[in-house]
Amino acid sequence: MRLLLAIALAGLAAQAQAVARPVSYVDGWTVISETDRQSTALWVHYTLDPQLSLGWRSEWDRRAEFQVHGPQITYLAKRWFGADYQANLYGFAGGGWAQGTGDNEGIEGGASYLGLMADWETRRLFTSYRMRVTEAGVLGSYAMQAARVGFAPYVGQTGDLHTWLMLELDHRPQNDDTVGVTPLVRFFKGAALLELGWSIPDSQPLANFTYRF
Amino acid sequence: MVRSLLIALLAFPVAAQAQHHDDHQGADHDAHHMEGMHHGEQPAGKPIADTKAIKSALNDGGEPVVADVLGVVCDFCAKAMNKTFGKRKEVAAVYVDLDDKTLSLVLKSGASLSDETIDKLVKDAGYRIASIRRGDAALKEEAS
Repeated sequence: MRLLLAIALAGLAAQAQAVARPVSYVDGWTVISETDRQSTALWVHYTLDPQLSLGWRSEWDRRAEFQVHGPQITYLAKRWFGADYQANLYGFAGGGWAQGTGDNEGIEGGASYLGLMADWETRRLFTSYRMRVTEAGVLGSYAMQAARVGFAPYVGQTGDLHTWLMLELDHRPQNDDTVGVTPLVRFFKGAALLELGWSIPDSQPLANFTYRF
Repeated sequence: MVRSLLIALLAFPVAAQAQHHDDHQGADHDAHHMEGMHHGEQPAGKPIADTKAIKSALNDGGEPVVADVLGVVCDFCAKAMNKTFGKRKEVAAVYVDLDDKTLSLVLKSGASLSDETIDKLVKDAGYRIASIRRGDAALKEEAS
């Protein structure tokens, strides 16, 4: 119980993946770019197994002022199926060489991170939770958590443009504005997914793009 | 606190692997349940998709196959199965219908793809099959 509470209250901030389906189909490649109020990242992964993807992630935490470049592994621990729903639980880990930027220019060292993601969705409703802890040595220790809910105003058929209206809340205790509120719209068509939003407390954009091939 | 969270998360893959192992132990049971789910959880069996590619492949003498798939909720699901089955030389046409939650296949004339292989390929794509229909049963809507 204490562990669950600790995870739920995971403090300190870092970056996390907002992407749908971080494990693809076997032999599938996915390219993802992400920008939120905290960081900007580019991530490319390859799915080795229905439950495992391996990729490379380059991330710039604009607020904590450092970059991390290195491999990431994502494990689909469990997928629940129904005729009308799907739910997933993922664990992920990564790390690499961290380089300070801005006021941290010239500071370098190893960094690693671990996290969890969970989601449940139908064609009409979506909800997700993710958290991540990062240990970047002299550049600091960080954690974050975020939850998202979404609603599709219409249900599209295969190949149609799918539209989702979503709201994300994130908690990054080391920031001046610890709680972020980001309304966003998700467009989804074929192999491409685009999310555009705006973080209200700190007036920062959200822009995520995923392409699967 | 960060250190304790890192330790807790390091333990996560071990627990998850144990769950994965349990899932594999139950795999044979899932296969046996396919027929049962067809008459239970699933609605009436939908016919093969009515697309240009499907019709063309049927006209060329291909064998129709329809699989009811669980967990199909978005275009990424469709993309995964289109890619996975599109690479198979036995498959003349493939279409995933989000409304019907079906995978429609037309096998090339003279080619075959067993239920077990289709089941495995759908699992490789990340999903599960509830039932499979072939021939006439795949061409017309089946009463529940």
